Amino acid sequence: MSRYLVKRILGALVVMWVVATLVFFMLRIVPGDPLAAMLFDVGDPAAAEDLRRAFGLDQPLYVQYMKWFWQMLHGNLGVSIYGSHLPVTRVVAEALPRTLSLAGLSFVIALAIATPAGLIAATRKNTALDHGVTLVAFLGLSMPDFWLAILLIIVFAANLHWLPAIGYVPLSVGFWPWFSHLILPAIAVGTGFSAIVARMIRSSMLEVLQADYMRVARAKGLRESTVIVRHAFPNALIPVVTVIGIAFALLMAGAVVVENVFAIKGVGRLLIVGILNRDYPVVQGAILVVSAIFVFTNLLVDVLYTVIDPRIRYQ
Amino acid sequence: MSDQNLKKLTSDHRNRLERELEQAHDFDPRDPMVGLSADDLSGAQLSRRAVLRLLAATGTLAAWQLTPMGGLRSAAAAARGGTLSCGWAGVGEIRTLDPAQINQVLEFQITSNALSGLTHIGPDLIARGDLAESWTVSADGAEYVFKLRRGVTFHNGDKFDADDVLYTYNRSRDSTKSIHSRVLGNVSSVDKIDPYTVRFKLKHAQASFLTKTLERASGRAMTIVSRNALKSMGNAQYGLTPVGTGPFRVTQHQLGQGVVLERFANYYDPERPRLDKVIIKPISDPEALAAALESGDIQLIGGNPVPPQLVDRFVANPDLVVNSVPGPGFQSVWINPWHPAMRTPDFNKPLDELMKEKGFKVRLAIAKALDRERFLKQAQFGRGKPAYGTINPAMGYYFDAKLGRESNQRFDVEAARRLLAEAGYPGGKGFPKLRLLVTPSNRRQGLVIADILKRNLNIKVAIETKDFPVLIDDFDTMHWDLVRLGSGGDYDPDDGLVDWMQTKSKFNGPHRDKSKSAFGYFSDAEVDRLIAEQSTEADPKKRKALVQQANRITSDKVASAFLYHPVDIQVRHKRVGFPSVSRIPGLVDLDRTTIA
Repeated sequence: MSRYLVKRILGALVVMWVVATLVFFMLRIVPGDPLAAMLFDVGDPAAAEDLRRAFGLDQPLYVQYMKWFWQMLHGNLGVSIYGSHLPVTRVVAEALPRTLSLAGLSFVIALAIATPAGLIAATRKNTALDHGVTLVAFLGLSMPDFWLAILLIIVFAANLHWLPAIGYVPLSVGFWPWFSHLILPAIAVGTGFSAIVARMIRSSMLEVLQADYMRVARAKGLRESTVIVRHAFPNALIPVVTVIGIAFALLMAGAVVVENVFAIKGVGRLLIVGILNRDYPVVQGAILVVSAIFVFTNLLVDVLYTVIDPRIRYQ
Repeated sequence: MSDQNLKKLTSDHRNRLERELEQAHDFDPRDPMVGLSADDLSGAQLSRRAVLRLLAATGTLAAWQLTPMGGLRSAAAAARGGTLSCGWAGVGEIRTLDPAQINQVLEFQITSNALSGLTHIGPDLIARGDLAESWTVSADGAEYVFKLRRGVTFHNGDKFDADDVLYTYNRSRDSTKSIHSRVLGNVSSVDKIDPYTVRFKLKHAQASFLTKTLERASGRAMTIVSRNALKSMGNAQYGLTPVGTGPFRVTQHQLGQGVVLERFANYYDPERPRLDKVIIKPISDPEALAAALESGDIQLIGGNPVPPQLVDRFVANPDLVVNSVPGPGFQSVWINPWHPAMRTPDFNKPLDELMKEKGFKVRLAIAKALDRERFLKQAQFGRGKPAYGTINPAMGYYFDAKLGRESNQRFDVEAARRLLAEAGYPGGKGFPKLRLLVTPSNRRQGLVIADILKRNLNIKVAIETKDFPVLIDDFDTMHWDLVRLGSGGDYDPDDGLVDWMQTKSKFNGPHRDKSKSAFGYFSDAEVDRLIAEQSTEADPKKRKALVQQANRITSDKVASAFLYHPVDIQVRHKRVGFPSVSRIPGLVDLDRTTIA
C-alpha cells in the first residue's frame, strides 16, 4: 500500500507540473497585456517599461518559465502584478480558508440532504416518496446556483432580515458569525450537489438491494433498517464516493459565481479576477492549488475505497 | 426641527429639502452674486432659495437648523460615533491603497479618508488647503510656497513636516516606485525652506497644479505617505494598510473581503471625523448590493457608479436617500479617422472645408445621428446628461451650457441622413458594417448605440465585446472602427483636454503604426495650442475662454462623438447624515458623515 501511495503521489506531482506548465504558456498566448489595463490611465511609457522589467515580463518566454519553475520548487509563487504586489502564496492562503469553509459546509449540507433522500427513494421505489425525491432532485439540478443564491438573499436577508446578505467572517471570530455568513451560499452551492449525490445513492442502492446477500440478510431475520444501513448502504458507497470526490474537488476549485454573488473572495473568484486582469502569477498560483486539490482528492477517494471495501487492495 | 415633525415629513418632502440644500451650494465661488440675480435679491421678501444660497455663501448654512423652516435631521442624527458599513459597488477587491499604485477612482475614494494632500477639492472642485494652511504663487505662476499645517501627526504618531513632503515627492517621481511619476513632470524641484515651509518650482506655470498634482484624492502623486511606515512595512503591506494623516486609520484590509477604517483621535481637526468606524465591503453583484442595502448590511454605496437599473428601486424605498449631482467625466463613441469610409487625415482645415470631405461627413453623420436622450433612457435608465465635449457640468465655471444647443454634432436625424447621402451612402446603402468595441460592462450601451445608428442611418454595427486589457491594446494600436470609452474622475479641464484631445495625449493612439497614421483619433494644431495655453493660464476668466474655445472646436470637428456626462448618484440609508460640504462628485469623504 505504501508503495502504491508513493507512486500515486509522484504521479500527482507530475500532473500538477504539466497543468501548471500548460497554464503558464496558455496565459501568455491569451491576448491582453497585464500592464496595459493597470497603466491605461497613467500613460507613462517609462513607468510601463520599469514595471515590465521589475516583473521580468521583458524576458524571453523560456527564461520567464525557468525562473518561475525554479522559484516554485522553492515555494515562491511570485507576486501579484495587478496592483497589490503581494506574494501569491499569501493571496492564495487568504482565499483558501474561505473556499474550504464554503466547500466544507456545502458538502455537509449536501450529504445531509442527499443521504436520507437517496435511501428513501431507493427503499420506496416507484412510490410517491420516490417520485417526490426525484422531482426535487431534478429541480435542484435545474436551478442555476447563482439564481438560487440571489433568491436566498432576497428572502432571508433583504426581506426576513434573518441572515446577512454578503461577506465572510472567519471561524476565529465565532461560530455563529461564521455560520450565519456561510449558510446561504452553502445552500446555494450544496443544492445542486445534493441532487447529484441523491440520485447516485438511489441508483447504487437499487443495484445492491437486488443482490443475493440482501435476501440472506432478510432471511436471517434482521430488521429492515439494519439490512439497509449495515449491509446495503456500505456496499452502495463505492460509486457514490467516486462522484462525491469529484464533486468536492469541483466545490473546492471554487463555486465562483456564488462567491461573486456573496462577495466572498475564495479561490474561484481569485482565479476569475486574476484572469480578467491578466495577473499571471496569481492565476498560476491558484491553478497550482486547484490542481493539487483535484489530484489529492482523487487519491483520497482511492484510499477510501480500501476502507469501504476491504476486498480492494493496492499493490 | 423636532423628531416628531421630522417623522411627519413624507419622503417627497424629505427629498425636496435635501435637493434644496444641495442646490444652495451650486454656485461659482468667484461669482460675487453667488448665482443669484438682482431680482432674486430685491423686493420685500427673499425666497427660500435665495436665503439658502446666501447662508451657504457665507458658510453659515448650519444656521438653517435654527430657522422656522428647520433642520432636516434630528439631534440624534448629528451625534458622533457609530459604525457605518459601506458597499463598494461593482468591484471584487480593493487592490491597493498605496497612492503611488492607485489607478481606480474607487481606490482613491478610500485613501481620501485615510491620507491627506497639500490640497483637497470641495464640492465645487476648487482646491482648498488640506495639509497646506496657505500658499503664495509667484507672478509667473511657476513657483508655489506652501505653509504647512502644524501639529499634524501620522497614524503611527510621527510628526508631519516638510521632510514628508520631500519624501513623497522623491518617491513619486521615481517611476520604479510610482506609476504617477509623469504627473510631476512639470515640477523641476521641491525645496524645504524650514520644517513647515516648502517651495515647489515648476518648469512652467500650470493652472491645474493645485487641483491635479497636489490634490489628496485624485492627485495621488503628492498624497502624503509616511516614510517610517513604508520602511517598516514594505510597499506591499503599505498598499494594504497605508499610514497617513487622514481622519481615519486603516486598521484592517483583506483582499477581496474589505477595508476597515477607524477614527483617528489625533486628526488635526478635532471636530472630525464623527464616525468611530467605517467598514467597506466590495460587492460586485448588483442584486447582492441592493439586497445588502435593503437588509441593512450596508448603509451607503460607494465605489463604482451605482448600477443605473437599481436607482429607481432605491428612489422608491422610503428608508433610502438618493442624491444626484453632476459627475466628473465624459463618455464617448470614438470614431477611427483612418477607416476608409470615415477617413479624415487632416483636422487642421477650417470647419467649412472639412464639411466638404466625405470622410468627415460620415463622421459627423454618426455623431449627429446619436440620439443622446434616447441612449440615456435605454442604456442608463435616464441617468446622465448629454455630452458635447470633454468639459463636464461638475466643473461648473468651465462648463459651456450653450454647447448643447450650438454644437455641430448636436442631434439632428435629418441632417445626419443628408450628410451620409452626400458622402455617397444614401439611406446607408453600401456603407460597410462597423465594429464597435465594448467591454462586458458596456455591452448594453453598445447594443443601444448600434440600434440607434441602425434606426437613424441604416448603418450596421457589430458589437465586439472584449476584456478591458484586450480592448485597451486595440484602442492604443487603433485596431477598431468605433470604441465606447470615456473618462472619470475629471476635476480639472486638463483631465479631459490634455489627456484626450491633444495630438500628443497619452490616449491618442500611442502604439499605432506611425508610418500609416500621423495621429491617433484626432489632431488639430489650433486645439493643441489652445490646450497648451489654457494649461498655463493663471487668470480664471482667460482660462475659461480658452477652455471653452478648445472644447467647442473638439465638439464641432467631432474629435469624438461625445455621448454623455455621468451623474454621481449617492445612495444611503436615511440614518446616515452626509452634509453637502462633503458631497464632492466622484468621492466619498466620510469625515463629516454621521449615523443615527
